[in-house]
Amino acid sequence: MTNIAPPIPRLRDLSSPPKQLYYRGTWDEALFTKCAAVVGSRRMTQYGRMVVEKLVPQLVEAGFTIASGFMYGVDQAAHRECLECGGRTIAVLGWGMNWNGLDREDKNLMEEIEKKGLVLSEWEEQKPALWTFPQRNRIVAAISQELYVVEAAEKSGALITARIARTLKRTIWAVPGPVTSKTSEGTNQLLADNLARMWLPVRGAQKNETAVTNPLVRLLETEPMHASDIARALGEPIDKIGAQLSLLVLAGDVVEREGTFYVS
Amino acid sequence: MLVKLTSVAHVGLSSVPVDVEVDVAAQGFPGFTVVGLAGKAVEEARERVKTAITNSGMEFPGKKITVNLAPADLPKDGGAYDLPIAIGILVASGQLLVNDTVTNAVFYGELGLSGDVRPTKGVLLVGLFAKKHKIKEIFVPQGSAAEASVIDGITVYPVKNLRDLMGHVMGSAPIARLKRKKKEKTEDDVVEFDLSEIAGQEQAKRAMTIAAAGGHNLLMSGPPGAGKTMLARALPGILPPLTPAEALEVTRIYSVAGLLSSGTSLMHARPFRNPHHGISAAGIIGGGSNPSPGEVSLAHLGVLFLDEMAEFPRSVLESLRQPMEDGVVSIVRVGAHVSYPASFTLLAAVNPCPCGYLGHPKRPCSCSEKQVRKYRSRLSGPILDRIDLHVIVPSVETEKLSGQAGSVSSKTMRETVIRTRKIQEKRFAADGFYTNSQMKNKHVKKYCALDGETHRILKLAVETYDLSARGYFRLIKVARTIADLAGAPAIAVTHMAEALQYRSAMGNS
Repeated sequence: MTNIAPPIPRLRDLSSPPKQLYYRGTWDEALFTKCAAVVGSRRMTQYGRMVVEKLVPQLVEAGFTIASGFMYGVDQAAHRECLECGGRTIAVLGWGMNWNGLDREDKNLMEEIEKKGLVLSEWEEQKPALWTFPQRNRIVAAISQELYVVEAAEKSGALITARIARTLKRTIWAVPGPVTSKTSEGTNQLLADNLARMWLPVRGAQKNETAVTNPLVRLLETEPMHASDIARALGEPIDKIGAQLSLLVLAGDVVEREGTFYVS
Repeated sequence: MLVKLTSVAHVGLSSVPVDVEVDVAAQGFPGFTVVGLAGKAVEEARERVKTAITNSGMEFPGKKITVNLAPADLPKDGGAYDLPIAIGILVASGQLLVNDTVTNAVFYGELGLSGDVRPTKGVLLVGLFAKKHKIKEIFVPQGSAAEASVIDGITVYPVKNLRDLMGHVMGSAPIARLKRKKKEKTEDDVVEFDLSEIAGQEQAKRAMTIAAAGGHNLLMSGPPGAGKTMLARALPGILPPLTPAEALEVTRIYSVAGLLSSGTSLMHARPFRNPHHGISAAGIIGGGSNPSPGEVSLAHLGVLFLDEMAEFPRSVLESLRQPMEDGVVSIVRVGAHVSYPASFTLLAAVNPCPCGYLGHPKRPCSCSEKQVRKYRSRLSGPILDRIDLHVIVPSVETEKLSGQAGSVSSKTMRETVIRTRKIQEKRFAADGFYTNSQMKNKHVKKYCALDGETHRILKLAVETYDLSARGYFRLIKVARTIADLAGAPAIAVTHMAEALQYRSAMGNS
């Protein structure tokens, strides 16, 4: 089911607004009243994932709709995280509404997004091409009041979005990354050039008492680690550490990705 | 004159008596014919036998010679019939006298042109066959005779060459019978890699201990160079030694495959098979017109290690399902239907993504999420469902390891494993299997009672990770082994929590 979208006021800021916009989901003006775009690299690192997991819940908490480009990497992680913490999200596709080159997991995600949010595209039949993604980016930038860049390499779509957002006078935030990481060069440059504000997470999120005094949790607060490294650092047998980690993960104090653990 | 001798044909692991009838006719044109579904190698026995007899100083009769290998409908292949044919011709042509030695024994062995008897595969099975059919004496090649030395109740004559055998039959120079090996001292097997030589990787080592103790299949994923292969090679060193009955079972398979090195009697170390990913389905399962055992059977009671499992053809991985389920592999070919035992521990290693660096602390991964998904989907499904333990082997930063005390040695680990296996043997004595990994759901219910708190954790985990029913039972089985390792009679919260560390990371359950 594809529908033609009613006009979105903020799109008029663009010098070349899309002639036509198609949508799937349920149209709700309210989605656009407070809207933040979260964009970033397709090659998201673990750091990027951790940032998304901190940033998106805070934005949802503040009442923002999360807009992004439905690309794998940071974009999809933002959509997913938003749905997970009960927020509403808008996906702007870099291809036509009816293009059927998606795999099952993408389709599932899209269906989830449609339930409470929107999927937008300015085309019906267009296949993805090099030029369609920057085209899409201008819509992502235009419909949001604020733009958050999480991990972007030197030349990346996320930086194109940031440039457009700047011409549209949107508030741009960049998340600083390790200076050694290629996928953070773009974001760090935005900050160095004073083109974006630096986003830092809200400190002092309350944790339960036991978790804070737990030496294992304190160790993980500095950096993500593998179970073996933790056992070595604490000088404890691996079976004990493994059991502890599982319980901490189940309690929600610690998160595991690809074998590394970090504090949520 | 007609002479009848006995030899043996192997069909899978069973042996069938073959009557070797040799007739040297008094009349007719000279010639030499072999009948009885003789394969190419048996056809060629004519040239080997002819030359061997001449080179042993005897005379090859210039008469019409007919050799019949009965039963006529059983295909026969290999060089093992050379020896009975040669003896048959010598007797039938009157150069040897017929006596009990010739008619009541089994002759088995391939001849060289000089008259030497070459090592021949399947000698252990010949010995077992003789014992079963109450045949007192067997004549087998000297190089392979040791295989049969473990069987009691028969006399094994190691034959060096045709001339010695003739001397024995004529009674002029008897061959010394092979001494029966009582109990070979189980010298400590040489361990290729000792666990203590591998720095770090505590979690992977722990997973290996659990795998060895409970007979669980194990999947290791990690970047290239993390030490997956080295860890895998250390696994045989912590497995319990083969029991005498198991050793015989394994040796039989290796004897049929002709993979026993000369002079070996029984194998003591558990097999460790490491086939390359270019292997065909017939190579892994077994094949050939007279099917020979494949890698799954050669890994029987040992370890089948699939390095870079994602690179194996789908058909090969799929063909593992049936043997993993049944512990036996059935091969059907035009002329034969054969079963080989194939009860092995599967140890697999994979990279986390096509480039291998996903989750690496220093190197960036150059794969897109989609590529990763596609790569992993190659593994998903029935095979992953049969792997109880999944462990991530991260790359080790050497600077983090400097000054680290060495970990436990394989020897200590092995003792723990043996102790844990004993607990399981006792538990399952009435059920007809040996390890926790072999438990079916009804056994899990019977032997793995969970207290309230442990059950709560398990339930929470099922919800959090969206575990399938199979994943649920897998967790309990692993927790059972962890409890056994600790010597605990009941599964406690800590055991269940640790088991959670080894649930599937590959997504599907």
